[in-house]
Amino acid sequence: MKALRIPRSPKVIVGLVILSVFIVLTVIGPWIAPYDPNANTFIPNLTPSWEHWFGTTTLGQDVLSQLLVGCRVTMVVGFIAGLVATLISIAVGLAAGYIGGRTDEGLSLLANVFLAIPGLPLLIVINSYLPAGSQANPLVVGLVIALTGWAWGARVLRAQTMSLRDRDFVEASRIIGEKRWRIMWSEIGPNLLPIIAASLLFTILYAVGVYSTLAFLGLTNVSTWNWGTMMYWAQSNNAALANEWWWLAPPGVAIALVGTSLALINFGIDEFINPRLRAAGLTARQRRRVGLTRRPRLGFTPVLRQSPTDAKKVS
Amino acid sequence: MRTLLRRFAIYLFTAWTTITVNFILPRLMPGDPIQQLIGKLQGRVTPEMIKAIKAQFGQGLNQSMWTQYVHYINQLLHGDLGISITLSSPVSDVLSSQIWWTVGLIGVGAVVSFFIGTALGVLFGWTRGSRADAVIPAATFLQSVPYYFLGTILIMIFAATLHWFPLMGAYDPSLSPEWSWTYIASVLRYGELPLTSIVLSSLAGWMLGMRNMMVTTMSEDFVLMAVAKGLSRRRVMWHAARNAVLPSVANLALTIGLLVSGSLLVEQIFNYPGVGNLLVNAVGNEDYPLLQGIFLLITFTVLGANFLADALYYVLDPRTRTAAVH
Amino acid sequence: MSSSDTHLVLQVSNFSVDYGYADEAVRAVTDVSFSLGRSRVLGVAGESGSGKSTLVYGLTRLLRAPGVISAGDVTLRLSGAREGETIDLLAASEDELRAIRWSEISIVMQSALNALNPLHKIGKEFDEVLRVHDASLSKPQRRERAEELLALVGLQPDRLQRYPHELSGGQRQRVMIALALALRPQLVIMDEPTTALDVVTQREIVSELHDLRERLGFALIFITHDLSLLVELADEIMVMYAGRIVERAPALDLYRAPRHPYTLGLMESFPPLTGERVAMTGIPGSPPNLKTPPAGCPFNPRCAHAHDRCLSEMPPLSDIGDGGRSVACWLHDPASPLEVPVSLSRPGESTPGGVK
Ligand SMILES: Nc1ncnc2c1ncn2[C@@H]1O[C@H](COP(=O)(O)OP(=O)(O)OP(=O)(O)O)[C@@H](O)[C@H]1O
Ligand SMILES: [Mg+2]
Repeated sequence: MKALRIPRSPKVIVGLVILSVFIVLTVIGPWIAPYDPNANTFIPNLTPSWEHWFGTTTLGQDVLSQLLVGCRVTMVVGFIAGLVATLISIAVGLAAGYIGGRTDEGLSLLANVFLAIPGLPLLIVINSYLPAGSQANPLVVGLVIALTGWAWGARVLRAQTMSLRDRDFVEASRIIGEKRWRIMWSEIGPNLLPIIAASLLFTILYAVGVYSTLAFLGLTNVSTWNWGTMMYWAQSNNAALANEWWWLAPPGVAIALVGTSLALINFGIDEFINPRLRAAGLTARQRRRVGLTRRPRLGFTPVLRQSPTDAKKVS
Repeated sequence: MRTLLRRFAIYLFTAWTTITVNFILPRLMPGDPIQQLIGKLQGRVTPEMIKAIKAQFGQGLNQSMWTQYVHYINQLLHGDLGISITLSSPVSDVLSSQIWWTVGLIGVGAVVSFFIGTALGVLFGWTRGSRADAVIPAATFLQSVPYYFLGTILIMIFAATLHWFPLMGAYDPSLSPEWSWTYIASVLRYGELPLTSIVLSSLAGWMLGMRNMMVTTMSEDFVLMAVAKGLSRRRVMWHAARNAVLPSVANLALTIGLLVSGSLLVEQIFNYPGVGNLLVNAVGNEDYPLLQGIFLLITFTVLGANFLADALYYVLDPRTRTAAVH
Repeated sequence: MSSSDTHLVLQVSNFSVDYGYADEAVRAVTDVSFSLGRSRVLGVAGESGSGKSTLVYGLTRLLRAPGVISAGDVTLRLSGAREGETIDLLAASEDELRAIRWSEISIVMQSALNALNPLHKIGKEFDEVLRVHDASLSKPQRRERAEELLALVGLQPDRLQRYPHELSGGQRQRVMIALALALRPQLVIMDEPTTALDVVTQREIVSELHDLRERLGFALIFITHDLSLLVELADEIMVMYAGRIVERAPALDLYRAPRHPYTLGLMESFPPLTGERVAMTGIPGSPPNLKTPPAGCPFNPRCAHAHDRCLSEMPPLSDIGDGGRSVACWLHDPASPLEVPVSLSRPGESTPGGVK
């Protein structure tokens, strides 16, 4: 059995650090926000200053406070949607891959259908039919997002389960007569962990992106603060035309940073799943230290004669 | 051929599912959105209009679901998508006049970003371990930037501040659409920035994926074999790249939907005509017939593109042509 | 150097290869020296992980990172238009290497399925090497040559239109062999070309190779872990253990009367070519971890004849007389007071097939 040990490369560490910062902000953001995000009592359009780190909006609101308060909703929706979607994909992928036959055909077809239908338009349509109360409810929106985002993970998990199913150790427990669900849980499950982790990261990424997009389009309640609604207000007040970068940039960069952190962590998982991706190992400085003049090239194995006595003799 | 036919069957099934979902959603949603809409529309639009909407969504007709369903499919088969509430003209007319903008912008953007991204991915994969690796974190960040955010920032910097590009729209508003050089030149000029923003935001994804595949492929024996055969570096790289691009093409089918969805927003940002812009407006105005029509159109286009990508894969990989492997 | 050197294709001296760099380096091939004459066949045998592949990929500079050549010299004598010249493979530039690759040294890898580009028809593989190395050939000429080459290994010309996945394992390996001979190289290296095949096909291919070598006169380095395969084919056999050569001898001599306990164990791991079948005893234990090799002889933990000296001193590969044989084992040290066990001292004429 493989335990999920992600290679501790700088990329993964940076990813984890960024993500932790945002997770901490998710918890404490609304408490440490300096002002009420709705208060429009400040001088409008202030550039960043000591009083307003990220300046103020055209409506006279504090951008930093909106960012901090909005962090929680965005992240919670992203994580809930990601978790639910991953649970669905584990259930579908494992069932399809392990049971096979009719079950597999049915579930695979379902996954293929969901993969082929473009998620965002489907989401927009479903969302627009939701009663106004549910539209404004981040939880409902998160669940709908999960509904459109599980198929990719299910497909990958199914393929992996199928290849695991035929391996010796699973075969062995089958012969011993272990129960199906027990084999799935204790033999196959742990081997799927890296893929489950990757698909969790992806769906969180997808959910954060899609939720912000819906909010940006004004399709969620525009008076609950999240990073998408911040952009919605910026856009509808023509912040771009007025060159109000301090208003536009924070939510966009925050979304991009969360995405980057998830992607960086995923690099580590990728390298775990596919060892060939692991870095060739040497930075330019390390190369110089060991005496390599250049990066080792395919089909040109370096010659590093170590001690002077080994040095090339004249032939 | 079997695989390809199988894919086709799946897409047909998906198309049917979409149509059915489209039929069921407004009828089964809690809170009866259509009833509410009609309530809001009373007095604002003509009685004929209200009748048309009622007919389309089966309100007050006392028909069985099944009759309605057959009727709905029949209408779709005749290209009848109903009448747009806000624009008071048939949805099919609205869409056919607007779709070319979208196909032009997003289609070109997708193709350009796929090619540039893949080519860069090949290069960065090939030079793995060199200084060029420094682009990876930057590309990862770029990949995570939402499309609409990137578009907004580009407008702010290059259009609003530097005035290098026109701010919004698809062509100079003083011109009227016609087949003239000035008009075409204007369309191209206005298309530059939206196109750039689409290409920039989807480029990094292709690039990173291709780089990974390239690195994986380069550890295959046949690449070392190409070196052992004394082929030039260019040729060796080509051997690897041709193989590495296959998963990218296979992924193409999965990614098109995501790509199109993201790009649709670019139209909204740039106030560019097209389906994405219509979609956002339709949602805002609760123009359900238009919304449904757009959803069907987008889904069918994506399904078509998916099938093209599958066919391309089939052409590129000989192993799919003999059923034994794969 | 002596005049007989002109008959040598390849000369290797004190060749060592590391995986990893500086402090983390692990030595996978240590101090290997040998030379190979024109049209001679050198067999290299050893357990999995003994460094056979590392050795030959290192010699040809094809070893992937983190492989590094850490010592030695490798000289290749050129043929054809450059007859009489030699090239130092470890000092050669990338362009110089490219010029001699495939035209002077070609290689056949263990898995033909992986070594052939899955997107290329077989014909294209031939066409490519012929075109790249000889621009004067026209397309029909290249095709004709490809057909000739396939005929050489007993394949129909219509195989040129096939993709690798459409051929059987044996056919693919034959294609690889034909491809390796395409430019009439003087040295062909085969890294376990038959390991993935069934026994019957293995034998067929080996006897074909024997004929081909007679006809075309290339020198061959043939790697396998099945010593019995080599008896038919090889002139000389080198046995590797933990990255070192532990025994080198003319093929038949080595097969009839192994001198190193490891060679004996290796032979017992495979059924003999002829004679009645005996139980395969093999070698107890597993190869040493190269990071922390045992002190003294690396084979000592698994050796039935190990004694005090083996635990502390590394035996050098030294000539023990007996018809040009070298062994790295203290048992055969002329100064050794030890008695050589019967199984390792039988004269060359004893019955083939190992222990009774
Ligand atoms: N990339 C690598 N990094 C570190 N060590 C390696 C690497 N490749 C091989 N080795 C080590 O080098 C030693 C020799 O490996 P090599 O592949 O040459 O053995 P071999 O004799 O060809 O075995 P086989 O019969 O299985 O092909 C082994 O101990 C192996 O673990
Ligand atoms: Mg090997």
